[in-house]
Amino acid sequence: MQIDWLTVAAQIVNFLVLVWLLQRFLYRPITAAMARREERIESRLSEAKTARTEVEAEAERLREQQKDLEASREEALRKVRHEAADLRSAMEDDLREEMEARRKTWENHLQEERDAFAAKLRQRAGHQVIEIVGRVLQDYVGSDLAGQVAGTFVDRLGRLDDEARDKLSAAAKRADGPVKVESSVLLKPAARSQITRAVHEHIAPDIEVDYHEDGDLLLGVRLTVGEQTVEWSATRFLGRLETTLDEVIEGSSRLRSGRTPATG
Amino acid sequence: MEISPDAWVIYEWRGLSLNATIVFTWVVMALLVLGSWAVTARLSEGETVSRWQVALEVIVTTIRDQIAEVGADEPGRYLPFIGTLFLFIASANVLGIVPGYQPPTGSLSTTAALALCVLVAVPLFSIGERGIFSYLRTYVQPTPLMLPFNIVSEASRTIALAVRLYGNVMSGTVIVGILISVAPFFFPVVMQVLGLLTGLIQAYIFAILAMVYIGSASRSRRRADDPSTNDTGD
Repeated sequence: MQIDWLTVAAQIVNFLVLVWLLQRFLYRPITAAMARREERIESRLSEAKTARTEVEAEAERLREQQKDLEASREEALRKVRHEAADLRSAMEDDLREEMEARRKTWENHLQEERDAFAAKLRQRAGHQVIEIVGRVLQDYVGSDLAGQVAGTFVDRLGRLDDEARDKLSAAAKRADGPVKVESSVLLKPAARSQITRAVHEHIAPDIEVDYHEDGDLLLGVRLTVGEQTVEWSATRFLGRLETTLDEVIEGSSRLRSGRTPATG
Repeated sequence: MEISPDAWVIYEWRGLSLNATIVFTWVVMALLVLGSWAVTARLSEGETVSRWQVALEVIVTTIRDQIAEVGADEPGRYLPFIGTLFLFIASANVLGIVPGYQPPTGSLSTTAALALCVLVAVPLFSIGERGIFSYLRTYVQPTPLMLPFNIVSEASRTIALAVRLYGNVMSGTVIVGILISVAPFFFPVVMQVLGLLTGLIQAYIFAILAMVYIGSASRSRRRADDPSTNDTGD
């Protein structure tokens, strides 16, 4: 076994050529391709990392925002609740006041109605009583009630004290019109002339006297001289009746309000 | 029985003979270059990579890792030389399974040529790394008395490398030849399979030894710089 030096030289050249060829076709392209791929993967990884960081920051920001939003929502809700409570209490107060006002109005109205009713009742009762009394007097005593009233009035006029009589006389002198005599019932001519006489006698001798009928006047006579007035009527007799009637109405209304449930 | 492919002259022209060693070397070279070119001509840098490209990448990466494992700082610097040594020897040996093919590594001329290449490459890499004077100084260290021993060491290293490769490749061929004459059936197949294995191992050993020689030359410099580094060369 010997070494062929020519072949050795040829093989050395072959090997060097192979080294060059493989460097040209194998190592350099492969290494470069791997390096480029690695570089791209690195860049994509770093991109992904950057994107992830951004996304995390964004998520953190959103979380903060949501927290803020929730906090502001809670705040707004609390405020609205507070406002609603205020409004409700204000409305309740208003309603209460209004109810109170209405109740007062109603009570006033009731009071007015009651008063009106009482007045009407009093008047009617008075008339009724007077009528009955008059009829009784006429039937059983044979006397005229109006005449009696006139008599009583004349009698009272005669018993007036000096001061009152002077006042009336002064008023008659000042007045340029006639003296007005109002009565609840139409006075008969006899009663009229009796009163006229009494006026002439006690107040002014030649003054004219006018007679009127006034339904509101309960069994009595009212003499008006200028601004001075002398009145006698059965109204004062009805004072007790009125008190009794008031007590009755009061009792019945109290009974009614006690029976119905309280409405505020 | 023909043992060396050197003696198998395929073509002769005016006294220049073209023997089988050179022809089969060209065949191996052509296969390697054409195969590489076929793959690297359409390299992909995207996500989808062809399986051939993956195979080449695996081979290149493995060789580079092996070089780095031996201790080189920059594997890319030694990759063409060491990688070509390994690829050439491995493919030359593996192709031995093809009938009619004679491995060029079975010729002492080829192994001697490769060993001479390593012999030259070791100082060249060393000089390229540190400069010629610094390299020459290693021959007279630790004392100028060591100069002849250092020279003998370099020469014997080369010869050992050459003979190691030749002997291993040739032994396979010789054993197959002997076995064929003794037991014509079955055993030669087993030996062929064994030959494939030893061929690959030889390629690995040759390349790694070359790298170790180159590396130890550069390591001796590093040892001078840094005494804590251990020399693990042969």
